[in-house]
Amino acid sequence: MTTLPLFVALSACSGPNPLKGPPPLAADVRTLMSAILAEDNLVYLYSKTIDVHSGLAGELSPLLAEHHAHLSQLQARIIVPPGRHLRVHPTARPSVPATTQAAIAQIMTAERAAISAQLKRLAGATSSQAQLYASIAACEATHITLLNGQTIS
Amino acid sequence: MTNTQAPAADVAALQAALAAEHAAVYGYGVAGALMQGNDQDTAMSYWRSHQDARDTLTAMISRLGATPVAASAAYDLPFAVNDAASARRLVVYIEEGVTRAYLAIVAVSEASLRAFGALAMQEPADRATAWSGQTTAFPGMTPAALAPKTALATGTVPT
Repeated sequence: MTTLPLFVALSACSGPNPLKGPPPLAADVRTLMSAILAEDNLVYLYSKTIDVHSGLAGELSPLLAEHHAHLSQLQARIIVPPGRHLRVHPTARPSVPATTQAAIAQIMTAERAAISAQLKRLAGATSSQAQLYASIAACEATHITLLNGQTIS
Repeated sequence: MTNTQAPAADVAALQAALAAEHAAVYGYGVAGALMQGNDQDTAMSYWRSHQDARDTLTAMISRLGATPVAASAAYDLPFAVNDAASARRLVVYIEEGVTRAYLAIVAVSEASLRAFGALAMQEPADRATAWSGQTTAFPGMTPAALAPKTALATGTVPT
């Protein structure tokens, strides 16, 4: 039997060229990863704020727990190839203001930005992903309500 | 009147939200009567918000060429409501239901309706938090909806 040179044999294949490298990420995967990164940045901000202002732990810890839940849900929707790991590191590492009032204001600003970003992810997402983004955005809106002291007592 | 063809699923989602708003208007009437002071003032304000939302959905559905679902004459309450505390539980229950109804609109494929649903659900979620003093990680979502669906198509993942 005559063996073909490897490149000729491979060029006859109709599928992806294995020598060209992995395919690019699909758009909805890229969107999902941006959501994961944004959520990780919020987790970092909350964690750092609690570290600096321990007196805020009672107020912020439940909200931080919800952001962790968001992160877990988003990450669960990524299929990671065997042997690979999803690398998530916060990209925004702002310093925490010295006063608790300013620190809370910073968090509220971050939550507002997160809401806006989630709403921009809706178009093109699957129904399931869109609902997750919208629900997370609604949660973030309630964080602002709580932090603003807008509860009815 | 302009009649536009819209997918049946889109209209159904809007109708379900309208039904939820009808129930909210009714429920707030029951709850508000049992509240006093600031609570009652707040309930009155939120009652008007639900009426406005009801009118918005009614107009949207009509523009799509469908007949808006009508309110029921009365609604069965989910539990006994006979004092201020149970009235407060009722309004939280109402807002959670309205949140779920708007989240269902987010599932449609039409972009403007999806955006409408996502924005609209923030208000009832906020009101539920305002009444209860608590937040929830995934407003409007059921436990089944939180389980990951079909696998996403994957490319490379940064490692």
